Amino acid sequence: MSSLAVGCRLRVAVLVLALLGAGAAGGGSTAHAADDGELTLDSIVNNVIVGHAEDGNYLNFDPFATVELPRIMVARTADGALTVDLYGSTKGLLKDGTYGLVPHSEGEGGHEEIITESSALQEAFASKGHLHGDVVRTSGHVVADLSITRHLIFGLLAMGIVLAIFLVLAQRYKRGVGRTEAPHGVLQNMMEVMVVFIRDEVAKPNIQGEKWRTFLPYLLSAFFFILMANILGLVPYAGAATSNIAVTGVLAVMTFVIGLLYGSKDHYKHMFLGPPDAPWPIRVILVPIELIGTVMRHLALAIRLFANMMGGSLIIFSLIGLVFIMNVLFGEAMAFGTSIISIGFTVFILLLKLLVAFIQAYVFTILSALFIGISVEEHEHEEHADDAHAEAPTSQTSGALSDRLDAVDDAVDDVTEPAPA
Amino acid sequence: MTEVIAQSLVQPDVGLIFWKSIAFLIFLFLLYRYGWGPITEAMESREEEIESSIQRAEEALAEAKEIQSENKKARREAEREAQRILREARESAEELREEEMAKTRDRIQQMQEQAQAEIEREKQAALQELRDEVADLAIEAASKVVQDDLDGERQRKLVNDFIDDLPKN
Repeated sequence: MSSLAVGCRLRVAVLVLALLGAGAAGGGSTAHAADDGELTLDSIVNNVIVGHAEDGNYLNFDPFATVELPRIMVARTADGALTVDLYGSTKGLLKDGTYGLVPHSEGEGGHEEIITESSALQEAFASKGHLHGDVVRTSGHVVADLSITRHLIFGLLAMGIVLAIFLVLAQRYKRGVGRTEAPHGVLQNMMEVMVVFIRDEVAKPNIQGEKWRTFLPYLLSAFFFILMANILGLVPYAGAATSNIAVTGVLAVMTFVIGLLYGSKDHYKHMFLGPPDAPWPIRVILVPIELIGTVMRHLALAIRLFANMMGGSLIIFSLIGLVFIMNVLFGEAMAFGTSIISIGFTVFILLLKLLVAFIQAYVFTILSALFIGISVEEHEHEEHADDAHAEAPTSQTSGALSDRLDAVDDAVDDVTEPAPA
Repeated sequence: MTEVIAQSLVQPDVGLIFWKSIAFLIFLFLLYRYGWGPITEAMESREEEIESSIQRAEEALAEAKEIQSENKKARREAEREAQRILREARESAEELREEEMAKTRDRIQQMQEQAQAEIEREKQAALQELRDEVADLAIEAASKVVQDDLDGERQRKLVNDFIDDLPKN
């Protein structure tokens, strides 16, 4: 029985290694075979673990191919003119001669020359070092590197999938399936469950009165984009766009901007003048706290999603990387033994990531709804407190809202800290 | 070197922010314009329809119940009415019968009385006849006995007196 189980695990190990580790192994070994001919701990950490988690200007399909992505540079030339340099790949960018590769500095030495001569570049191309290094303009400087990166591609892929699903479903609803008759098919039913969930459990309870209608499209879009991006993070060779701080930052800023644009007079009054019934010295203290708190809330929103997704992928790559580290430190037998344990954990973490993918999408959406709800909330004034209560029974008073905010925050922190890191 | 690369994990990339913002705004617009509108609208209209159907069904049920109770009431009333009519009919029939019986009884009585009177009269007549016959017979007999002693008129009177003295029956 136990030998069978071990056999099964071995087979799973080999399979998952082939899917997940192949790229890592290929990337790690080839990169350093050219450098010093052997694997080092540093190279494993840089290439296998961090290299796979970080963004880059290439799509890694090792061992089959590495697809370089277009480079777009907004640069200021030596004479001060602003230009846009457009190249099909990093290779093309370097071959052109306008840009040079910054060499990996082994020591804390002085300023090294940037690599521009073709023989050195060929060496870098062979070791794929050009994909991991920085490029600089030989004359003038780069104002903004607007290159297409792999996380952007994965993000676009997620958006494309979501668009494809919902534009097709929208046509269905327009035809009447789901409007006058029951929704038909697995896809429509599954998506409808989630749409209804976001509407009834996320938008309606957190946003006062009928205002949720305005924000539902944003919440739905954010939810499905994050969910799809998170799930793409589980696909071999793909990655989670949401494990990039820039992506989650953009999403959080959108929530923030929506809150600012649609913010009610009461909210701004509360933010800049403090609570109306507090004495002024307290208000002086409270206003900065309120301002900082508002910004921090959204910052935390971005970091929470990013850190969870990044943490998950780092754990997976670390577990895979552990096999190679064992190989370097203790030899092949130990590496083989470690791979069994590593792969078991990897499968567990992958399953956990699947759960986290849904939880984080939900958490981001409900917190966005909550923050937007706080911004657009109009406080009930004394004289018509009663009718406001009557017409909006689901809305909360401000005290209850901040209580709920705390509760949600606590729950989120409890649930979504799978990363022991 | 390790730190340098690891730093890239937490450093927001300008290019990515730029493209991501544009892409997400387009994504949002497309879904807003062509995706969520029809979907949420359809779902809402469906929900409204279901709700209104349920409400209609409930109303219909209430109406049906009302009609049923009305029907029941009407039927009960009709039954009561029928019973009343039946009772009345029975009563009137009874009355009629009694009346008829009384009439019949009267008639019978009348007829009886008439018959009695007739009988009486007949009896009287018969008696009278008998009396006359007897008187005649007596007279004849007496005359035969007492010929010439008495004239016929006186003897008749005697006999009559004798008969009257006889008990009536």
